[in-house]
Amino acid sequence: MTLINLAFKSIINRKASVLLTLFTIAISVMLLLSIERVRQEAKQSFSNTISGTDLIVGARTGDIQLLLSSVFRIGHANNGLSWQSYEYIKAQKGVAWTIPISLGDSHKGFSVLGSDDNYFKHYRYGSKQTLQFEHGRPYHNAQEVVIGSEVAKQLHYYLGQEIVVAHGMGNTSFHHHNDNPLVIVGILEPTGTPVDKTLHVPLKAIELMHGPKHSTEHTTGRKDSSEGHDHDHDHDHDHDHDHDHDHDHDHQSHNYENLNSQPGDLIGQPKQITAFLMGFDSPFYTLQIRRNINIYKPEALSAIMPGVTLRELWSMLDIVEKILLLFSGVVVLISLLGMLTTLLSSLNQRRRELAILRSVGARPRHIFALMTSEAVLITALGCMLGVALFYFLIVVGKGVLQAQFGISITISMLSSYELLLLGVIMVSGTIIGAIPAIRAYFYSLNDGMSIKV
Amino acid sequence: MIQISDLTFSWPGQSNPTLQIKDLQIKTGERLFLHGPSGSGKSTLLSLLAGIQCAQQGNIKILNEDLSALNDAKRDKFRADHIGTIFQNFNLLPYLSPIDNVVLGCNFSKRRQANLKTEGATATSQATRLLDELGLDENTQHRAVNELSIGQQQRVAAARAFIGRPELIIADEPTSALDADNRDIFIRQLFEQAQQYQATILFVSHDASLAPLFDRKVSLADINGASL
Repeated sequence: MTLINLAFKSIINRKASVLLTLFTIAISVMLLLSIERVRQEAKQSFSNTISGTDLIVGARTGDIQLLLSSVFRIGHANNGLSWQSYEYIKAQKGVAWTIPISLGDSHKGFSVLGSDDNYFKHYRYGSKQTLQFEHGRPYHNAQEVVIGSEVAKQLHYYLGQEIVVAHGMGNTSFHHHNDNPLVIVGILEPTGTPVDKTLHVPLKAIELMHGPKHSTEHTTGRKDSSEGHDHDHDHDHDHDHDHDHDHDHDHQSHNYENLNSQPGDLIGQPKQITAFLMGFDSPFYTLQIRRNINIYKPEALSAIMPGVTLRELWSMLDIVEKILLLFSGVVVLISLLGMLTTLLSSLNQRRRELAILRSVGARPRHIFALMTSEAVLITALGCMLGVALFYFLIVVGKGVLQAQFGISITISMLSSYELLLLGVIMVSGTIIGAIPAIRAYFYSLNDGMSIKV
Repeated sequence: MIQISDLTFSWPGQSNPTLQIKDLQIKTGERLFLHGPSGSGKSTLLSLLAGIQCAQQGNIKILNEDLSALNDAKRDKFRADHIGTIFQNFNLLPYLSPIDNVVLGCNFSKRRQANLKTEGATATSQATRLLDELGLDENTQHRAVNELSIGQQQRVAAARAFIGRPELIIADEPTSALDADNRDIFIRQLFEQAQQYQATILFVSHDASLAPLFDRKVSLADINGASL
């Protein structure tokens, strides 16, 4: 019978207290690994959000606010910038491409982004990857929309379907652009960035939604009948229902006919856009044009370098994630101290067991090894259980994290850093286990074969 | 087998010695009954013989090995290799089966394992045989230790002492928890095993009525100069 075997049987004998210790360690390991994995994945998807863009230009605001609103669709840009300024800056020497961005509308909680065809040509994410179409193609005219993969997945949208977008942001919108339905002509491949949760429309579509024709129609249109009596309202409701129903049938049957549209104007005559992305022929132009934009007289503008601002933003979040990691590290330490308490408190009761082992020839070093191997066993089992719980948590929480926070967690093997963390826990467990082992060693030296309990 | 000469031992912090034995010789294969009232130094003598404690003066030789010349580790090894102990309260590990408790007896001794190999036995087969010989059936051998009767537990403790053929068996009041019938049966079985395994028995008890069963009786009170 090896010492490990003996240690295992001894642990089984004290299963209640050992199980509690084991679960404490397992939960702390799960917590540590989960925080670490979410941190890594968040950092990964964060830094992958945009690449290949040299400058982002918007109305004068904070760098981070501009980045958040234009790239992450978080918060709202307070002001837009005029189309004239955009045209002027676009015409500067060295500018390779520009992507105008107009935000502010939403569809069932997903952002609607107005742009032109440059968006699909020049927008880069991850390692300078271009946007790829899972189905369909870019928009050709103002009645078309290209949706991100998450939008398609969550709303069960398909190619050729007609949808309406709402004015304003958020899930609940009180102002529907029912008069301007858009046909889904493209569904993008997943990118793991906010693009997945965005509906892309031409700038002209945005203009049409907010144009004078729309407002007139809207104020006099069917929706206003809700101000009338109940009968009308019910009637309208029924009508809407039937209408939607018919539409669904139409979509199924005329699915691909909608895609054979004629190319039209994508831009229209916008007065303002939210921001625009810029790429230069040479990096040399970046700082020069940025300086020029920042001192641009006709309008107060801000130009940010997304890489720099991303780093700034991450360094702000870095403190939070480090504090989280520190907390989970402390939780692990507390769980290991819990193990120390359990082992120490049981030690006095186990002096009899140690004396028995001494009487059958166990040397103090055997007692030390036995006690240490118990701690190692508990820590190792705790770590294994913790890893199992961690994977279980990932499987369960994956969807929620993706849906609520946009963090896509991949179920993969433990990274070398995560293995290193487990190694540190194992070493700490062994060191902590050595404390009662040293005590047991001296007990066994003093007690010998006689039991003085 | 055992030679004790001019032995003096005091517990730390005590001015008077606990044990002072001028001379005690035990022959190989002898069954010696060491008698003494409580507090006469029986346990102290046993811990000296087992090499747990070291005498301040004089020497103890077991199998011609001077224990005082050995360091702690070597004394531990010597005990594991050559001495089997049966305790008053059996000292079985409750989380091991009777078989595992017996096997534990040769777990820490390479010499005992080698002895088993010479006999062509494994630790488990030898443990099973010892328990069989001591009257524990196969079903009992795999039950939980705390489900066994006192007599059965004592036999498991005896089997543990004998496994791997140690030369010396120290029995420290092993029959104090047994009734007279079981006590005699146990001692008879002990002698049978000792004969079979050619072991010397040092039986310690305060119960002088057991003395006639043994080859020789020694009263610790008579030989311990400290208590005179």
